[in-house]
Amino acid sequence: MAAVETERIGRVCAAICLLSVCSLCTGHTRDRQVLIELNPGSPSPPPGDLLHARAVGDNDTLHFLFCSQGAPTLLLVHTNTSFSTVKVCLHVDSTTKPSTHEPSDWCSPDVNFLFLSQVNWAQFNDRNHSGGLTVEPESSVLYSTAVVFNRLLEYDDINDTADPTSDLFPPYDLQDFRWSRLNLSGLTALLCGNTAASSNGSLCLQLSLFETEGRGQHWPRLLHTANSSQLRVWLDGVLPRATRSRFLLELQSVGGASPLNRVEVHRSIDDEFTPSIFKVSQWISALNDSSDVLGFVQWKPVAYRQADPALEDAAPCRHSEPRPQSGEAVAAVSGLIRAFYKEPEATGLNGAAGGRRLAARRLFLTTGHRHDGGWFGNSHDPPAAGRDLRLHPEEGGGNGLRANQLMAVFDHVTSLCVSQLGLRRLLNMFLPDVTHCKMTSCL
Amino acid sequence: MADYDERQSLLGDESDGREADRGPGRPMPAICDPSHLLHRVVVLVFMCFLGFGSYFCYDNPAALQTQVIRDLNLNTKEFMQLYAWYSWPNVVLCFFGGFMIDRVFGIRLGTVIFSLFVCVGQVIFATGAWWNKFWLMEVGRFVFGIGGESLAVAQNTYAVNWFKGKELNLVFGLQLSMARLGSTVNMNIMGSVYSKVADLVGSPGHSALGASLMIAAMTCLFSLICALVLGFLDKRAEKILHKEEGKTGEVVKLTDVKDFPLPLWLIFIICVGYYVAIFPFIGLGQVFFIEKFNFSPAQARAVNSIVYIISAPASPVLGFMVDKTGRNVIWVIIAVVTTLCAHMMLAFTFWNPWIAMSLLGLSYSLLACALWPMVAFVVPEHQLGTAYGFMQSIQNLGLALIAMAAGAILDSRGYLLLEVFFCACVCIALMAVVTLYFVDYLRGGDLNRSAAARAKLQKEAASEAE
Repeated sequence: MAAVETERIGRVCAAICLLSVCSLCTGHTRDRQVLIELNPGSPSPPPGDLLHARAVGDNDTLHFLFCSQGAPTLLLVHTNTSFSTVKVCLHVDSTTKPSTHEPSDWCSPDVNFLFLSQVNWAQFNDRNHSGGLTVEPESSVLYSTAVVFNRLLEYDDINDTADPTSDLFPPYDLQDFRWSRLNLSGLTALLCGNTAASSNGSLCLQLSLFETEGRGQHWPRLLHTANSSQLRVWLDGVLPRATRSRFLLELQSVGGASPLNRVEVHRSIDDEFTPSIFKVSQWISALNDSSDVLGFVQWKPVAYRQADPALEDAAPCRHSEPRPQSGEAVAAVSGLIRAFYKEPEATGLNGAAGGRRLAARRLFLTTGHRHDGGWFGNSHDPPAAGRDLRLHPEEGGGNGLRANQLMAVFDHVTSLCVSQLGLRRLLNMFLPDVTHCKMTSCL
Repeated sequence: MADYDERQSLLGDESDGREADRGPGRPMPAICDPSHLLHRVVVLVFMCFLGFGSYFCYDNPAALQTQVIRDLNLNTKEFMQLYAWYSWPNVVLCFFGGFMIDRVFGIRLGTVIFSLFVCVGQVIFATGAWWNKFWLMEVGRFVFGIGGESLAVAQNTYAVNWFKGKELNLVFGLQLSMARLGSTVNMNIMGSVYSKVADLVGSPGHSALGASLMIAAMTCLFSLICALVLGFLDKRAEKILHKEEGKTGEVVKLTDVKDFPLPLWLIFIICVGYYVAIFPFIGLGQVFFIEKFNFSPAQARAVNSIVYIISAPASPVLGFMVDKTGRNVIWVIIAVVTTLCAHMMLAFTFWNPWIAMSLLGLSYSLLACALWPMVAFVVPEHQLGTAYGFMQSIQNLGLALIAMAAGAILDSRGYLLLEVFFCACVCIALMAVVTLYFVDYLRGGDLNRSAAARAKLQKEAASEAE
């Protein structure tokens, strides 16, 4: 979860940007050609939209799958061929969310191998069955990882310490949100949703894909390559439930053999693109402390309180240490994870492509608050390394067996970049106004 | 603030013995006897605290930077306007400060009037914060600026009047130290004053800010009381000792500007290029130290104030050294290069900023001791007032403009580029001082002579005159 903090009573906006896969090559990263399709081949709009984007390189492909069925999830699959496709099986029945389908099993046949994807929607929509989504050919999958936005937590920071030890309000479960249809424009997709209980405020995610290197347009202006995607997340008009509310957003990462397991913070002297921020945080999946990074989620520890922020709209963003998580719990909230990652005991993978054993970690992002001229309230604390947010305990998830192919992928890296959350700061606590805040993070 | 103090302390005793010291008519306790040292020490105490209030309140925005920005919803450029508006009146007033004290008000009334301006300005500033009206705060800073610089002129005039002779350099040094003490105390306590007030008021906000600034205004009130007491003591001493009212002795004629020699213009460039890399940086420094070096707010304020803390004791010491060795241009070069190194350290490394800021404090003191006396070497005495007035005027103009530019740069491009900008300003000063060295060398000028050589020349000139 990533946490967003609010300063005062009022509408809260937060944006998170999530980057997706980035390939770490020695030298210049190559451009890719990005092809996007929405709900490919679905006979009728499914309960949650599925966006499939293929970033095709010379001899490899990155598949980005963004799904709003359950908790919003971004899945990245890296294959070693330019011709891989995604096959989705959906099963719709009355035990899942209300839908307009008749219960059926429907998998579209592979009509044309070169089509972008064939979707078997019947099995996909059935959250009780795994294997609804596959990447064909399965042997070409080198690496896969996913990030799930699970929950939005809120707590009342009475002592203004930005330390969520006080009682948390009932969390917003993103899997229970009513999500809008994915809004595509160019290489960007926008997804907004609000709680079923009230229509006050919404949480939006905007996924951007890139064909070439560049830098984000909005603060914190993270650098991207053709191998990354960026995800901006923001809260728009969400009413805080206390005077000193702070929000936490929970991110869960799922990976087959090596999920993202540790967070590194890099310091730099350069704050040209993000004034007054000198750090970049990366949640990486590294092989046993080696320096080879397979995938990462990258963000700058800042959140902005305005859609078009100025320097003083910045609020610090902290993260917790990643903690192991039950893969089963993650699969239960996210349809995409359930579909792609098979049950641990069902597959017994060993050397299978990509390693689709379910291993998960979760991370909390908390945005801070400038008080008394500092980030950290009354005392100086380092960024929340090792901070335990004391939510219900997780069982350890196994790392799964490492696929042989992963060892060869030493120069390819998947990166997920998460941008920080922006907050709407009220000028007058009695007159909240709705302002759209966005936060982006990309390095 | 203006370095009027620094330059006066190194010019030494300028005034002639003008008082007809006829002594008291009847015996009185030593402390009440204006000619007695003990009484003059009492007067010295009041004189030092005369400037304390204005130096304390000058850097209030820097000490409360994040609070001001947050509570009033400003951006950095607007925040720096608070410093710019202080400097604007002094672009013009520097010429007229001496004139007003000499011809218009007299020293006693002039001091009280300027103290009143300082006090009222700070109160308006605090009221603007209380009512959340930024324009009113700018007006307050403007009024504060009218009083602040001229008060420094008055303070020095008092010092010359009461302490001419051997004690004058010490008095100037003490006055400067008190000024720096005021700045330091401000940097270190205003943060906690704000927190306490915020707890009292209920929550942080512009009301808490206004209340904190009003508390700071009490130091200005204290300075006003000192001005009144000084006026009373001065009038009493005049009656008892039958001495003349003090005068600044400055004559300002604007037409003299066209006669300024090239070395003087180079000195002006050094002055502007150097000081714009110091004061705006201190104004914006707190957040820099918090963000880049992970300091706590209290630590950041402390390291920000180290420049002032160091210059308080270092100025007299370095002044003494420069007086003894001469070679002002070399010292200026050393000071400028050291400042450049300090800024580069802060910009491009993660080394402990205490080192860089201490270097900054030392070089700032050294430059003040070495630069301002050079003006006296290049212009004749009857143009000295105009030259100093002009130098302060463009210094304030430069500070006003660069303060706003610094805020704009920070808002758009961040601290690294801001530091690079400051390094560029210091480089301009460096180029000017190197040029000055060569110009002076080629003209066989006086600026870089050692003190011994200078003394010899003076003796020769005196013996020739006989």
